[in-house]
Amino acid sequence: MNATIGRLLLTRLVAAILTLWFVATVVFVITNLLPGDVAQELLGQSATPEAVAGLRKALGLDLPPWQRYLEWLWNMVRGDAGRSLVNGSPVAGLIGSRLGNSLLLAGITALVAVPLALALGITAAVHRGSVYDRIVGAGTVLAVSVPEFLVASAAVLVFAVQLRWVPALSQLGRLDSVLDVIRTFALPVLTLTFVIVAQMARMTRAALVDVLSSSYIEMARLKGAGQARIVVWHALPNAIGPIANAIAFSLSFLLGGVIIVETIFNYPGIAKLMVDGVSTRDLPLVQACAMLFCGAYLLLVTMADVAAILANPRLRHR
Amino acid sequence: MSSTTLPVARRPLALLFSIGRLVMPAIVLFWLAMAFFGHWVAPYDPAGIQDADLFEGISRKFWLGTDYFGRDMLSRILAGARYTVGISLMATSLAVTAGVLLGLAASAIGGFFDTAVSRFLDALISIPSKMFGLVLVAAFGASIPVLVLTLAVIYLPGCYRINRSVAVNVAALDFVAVARARGESTFYIMIREILPNMVGPVLADFGLRFIYVVLLLSSLSFLGLGVQPPEADWGSLVRENMPGLPYGAPAVIMPAIAIASLTIAVNLTIDSAFGRHAREGVR
Amino acid sequence: MSVNDKDFPGMLGMPEQDRLMRALRSGASRRDLLGMMSALGIGAAMGGTLIGAAGTALAQTPKKGGKIRVAGFGTSTADTLDPAKQSYSTDYCRCTMFYNGLTELDDRLNPKLALAESIENDKATIWTIKVRKGVQFHNGKELTAEDVVFSLKRHHDPAVGTKAKALADQMTEIVATGTHEVKITLKGPNADFPVVLGTYHFLIAPAGTTDFNKGIGTGPYKCKEFTPGVRSIAVRNENYWRQGGGPYLDEIEFFGIPDVGARVNALLAGDVQLIGNVNPTSAKLILSGKGFNIMETKSGNYTDLVMRLDQAPGNNPDFVLGMKMLMNRDLIRRNIFQGYAEVANDQPVPPMNRYYAADIPQRKYDPDQAKFLLNKAGMIGSTLPVVTSPAATGSVEMGLLLQQAAQQVGLKIDLRQVPADGYWSNYWMKVPVGYGNINPRPSADILFSLFYASNASWNESGWKDPKFDQLLLAARAETDEARRKQMYTDMQVMIHQSSGIGIPVFISGLDAHSEKLKGLRPMGTGSLMGYSFAEHVWLDA
Repeated sequence: MNATIGRLLLTRLVAAILTLWFVATVVFVITNLLPGDVAQELLGQSATPEAVAGLRKALGLDLPPWQRYLEWLWNMVRGDAGRSLVNGSPVAGLIGSRLGNSLLLAGITALVAVPLALALGITAAVHRGSVYDRIVGAGTVLAVSVPEFLVASAAVLVFAVQLRWVPALSQLGRLDSVLDVIRTFALPVLTLTFVIVAQMARMTRAALVDVLSSSYIEMARLKGAGQARIVVWHALPNAIGPIANAIAFSLSFLLGGVIIVETIFNYPGIAKLMVDGVSTRDLPLVQACAMLFCGAYLLLVTMADVAAILANPRLRHR
Repeated sequence: MSSTTLPVARRPLALLFSIGRLVMPAIVLFWLAMAFFGHWVAPYDPAGIQDADLFEGISRKFWLGTDYFGRDMLSRILAGARYTVGISLMATSLAVTAGVLLGLAASAIGGFFDTAVSRFLDALISIPSKMFGLVLVAAFGASIPVLVLTLAVIYLPGCYRINRSVAVNVAALDFVAVARARGESTFYIMIREILPNMVGPVLADFGLRFIYVVLLLSSLSFLGLGVQPPEADWGSLVRENMPGLPYGAPAVIMPAIAIASLTIAVNLTIDSAFGRHAREGVR
Repeated sequence: MSVNDKDFPGMLGMPEQDRLMRALRSGASRRDLLGMMSALGIGAAMGGTLIGAAGTALAQTPKKGGKIRVAGFGTSTADTLDPAKQSYSTDYCRCTMFYNGLTELDDRLNPKLALAESIENDKATIWTIKVRKGVQFHNGKELTAEDVVFSLKRHHDPAVGTKAKALADQMTEIVATGTHEVKITLKGPNADFPVVLGTYHFLIAPAGTTDFNKGIGTGPYKCKEFTPGVRSIAVRNENYWRQGGGPYLDEIEFFGIPDVGARVNALLAGDVQLIGNVNPTSAKLILSGKGFNIMETKSGNYTDLVMRLDQAPGNNPDFVLGMKMLMNRDLIRRNIFQGYAEVANDQPVPPMNRYYAADIPQRKYDPDQAKFLLNKAGMIGSTLPVVTSPAATGSVEMGLLLQQAAQQVGLKIDLRQVPADGYWSNYWMKVPVGYGNINPRPSADILFSLFYASNASWNESGWKDPKFDQLLLAARAETDEARRKQMYTDMQVMIHQSSGIGIPVFISGLDAHSEKLKGLRPMGTGSLMGYSFAEHVWLDA
């Protein structure tokens, strides 16, 4: 068993490096295909041909693309992500200062959303077909089908503008007590929970329902096992693959996909950094962000796969 | 499993849900019909600026009020059904079909094929979707087919991953091993042995992915990659009327209700269809 | 706009009176009020009583102390404290906290001395500037001619990536002729040179500065913290050279919230005291809340219909004129900007500019004449692609109105909304018919040189007129005001008649603030008091 997982992890590690390289390369190619470059975007309405040419030269953009690409790759291999073309500061520093914020928001949201989704999914599966199941089903779909920006704005209007319980902006630097943390994160976490809970809850329910109707669960039931025991010991392990994958997905979304929440609550996270990078064509920044999101995603899905293998004995020998 | 057979008469809520079982498909059919005929049914020109205030409330003249530009909201929602229902259904079907087939193939074939497809799609999912959309449109221009393709490609990797993880579990079960031992072809195993046993999660995933596509469509339109003004999909209707939210304008609430009604109806229809399917004990 | 115009029911009703009273309470000056009233058609007699009623508000003296938080619009990693690289209002707001220029512009866009003690010229070509003595930078260094030379010369270095290259290129020689004297030689005469020196990109930083992120300047506030894309914190400069006014506040935290709804909510929830760039719909909401006010700044900002004269169909003058007549300016002003705009006349000089030509007959919405001209141009019955983008403020909505108007005369417009991303490099000035958006420029000369001279890089419609170019050069060198005004009037007529751009309205800038924040008043240089609110505002706790 350990050998299976060890082999999996090793191949995944090799694959991860290749994937990261592939992603960075594709991003490089795409950025070069997109209309406008960093010099034009920076100069905006002042982009006269001479000014653009001058700035391109100063930024080293007058070199042929393959040469810039190789240089970037060589630096990356040595662990240097380069400098932002837009403001000249090191990319590692720009990302580093915001990564912590993003992880904090993602962490708190995960702490709220994952247990909630699992509880909803499991109970709905156990009581499948009941009124409760229907309500959970309709409720989670409703939560995810209201546009995120509407949920966030409505929450701000009610809780910040009308009731004044919480601030309209989630700014860090004022986190002196637990109450501060709750006030700061309440609305963004609420919004994000709306977005991600449905996928996890529905997948949990669907996977469990499948397993619960299979023959060996009937067997367990005939042997007289209690409902809770059947669900936790017999059904859940066999359903963990899809559930873990759904969780991995939802969590990876929390890092790079939260642009609307970051914008509406003015939260200094990493998703906004990347969107800025794309619109200013700040190639080193975009490449580094894309690789970071990719890395986080690969880590999460690998963990999901390992969890699936550990939980399902049949998969260990594949 | 006593909870599945509720005595209907004694539970008013249960009765309600039984009716819901009929109502949900009806809603789906209604919106499908509007996708085709919405433009004709609309009481006003969806793009026409009416003699009205901005963000007017519900009235006999304008059943769902007016939008931020003084246009009739009911007409705009009916006309928008074409995009939200049509494009989203096409894109979701495309993504799910491709995702299921690849997931099945990966689980049935395994080995290098599995690894290659999985890693490639992992890379694809890591490319920012906005960038992806921008480059596709820069290359092919903004049109409905490009839009459908963009949406499908963006959601394909996620769909693949979920379906593969389900399929792998099924593929590890005994009856698949038996089929292999019988010498059945890989294609037969995919379609006849594995697929029927993963219908539940696949459909649950389809329903959700449909919602994501509906919502992403509005983001792409907002970027200028999607539906062109004066036409608008429902998500864009919500977005463009957001300034009306503090006034509780129907212009922002009604398209949100339209989205919710469609997505809930689609998902619950799937759920109840699958529920019957599961009870019949297909194996 | 006239009071009796049936198109504007209630324009002078309660909202207008309310707006006036709010302005009075928040400490607008007598002149601002009279200006507002005459714009509203209120006579001086009634205005006098109104002002008298609010006399107490006017008599308030500024108080020192307090902290405010301000949310501008737009923020990204490109945020900068380098004067030469500023590109957004967020940057202007920050840089005017930390730096001063040699001159600054007042509310009528006239140059006033700032770090310069005197400015003299020889034939408007050689300029001798005496630098103010005894002014200290935030790091304790004294301001000298060397700093001025450094700050101006930087614009000639392509690696700096200055936004003001077009303006800086006219300076051929910049030398220190004493410890506090600088001589600048221009390529040709320019009577408006002091205006140029008062623009944001020519703020003065100490010689040899390489790290601009510290914000070392001579300005009213010192930089305590600056993180691009996140926020800046400014603290009062106790050692400020200018006496008898601000800075009043202890601290200003400034950051950007790109989403307008979020910005408005932050104000209404009390998280911030001042926000920039509010849209007209939110203005109504803010005014209906208690304790908040809107400041409207009339400006020269315009979104224009651009018809390339060097491509079909713009190469047909009948088409161009017909399209200009299809623009329903009143409807644009009322429906898109909810009255927060002024009707314009297809020429770019706004009414507040001292060279504004008020006598050019207003071009009106005239579908019949438009139909006649478009028919003559052979366009009736054909389909015309028009490109709009969220990048050009209000262009999508203007396009929709144009589409409706065109439909009525039998021209089908195929509206194409393209992404804001890449719009300026990819579509602007490249498509036959599309929209542009031009930010206000401080002088008619700069405006004409950048956008209307035959060889201008951003001659949007490709309009070429040698007579216009000659007039532009002559007016620049002219020091006699009356003759100059006549020349500028002639140029405005030429643009109005024959260029390929249609300017429907000048868009007002709207800012919103807590009523506790005092000292704000509209400035012709731009929103947020020409982005230099920091020096002038104070808190009435």
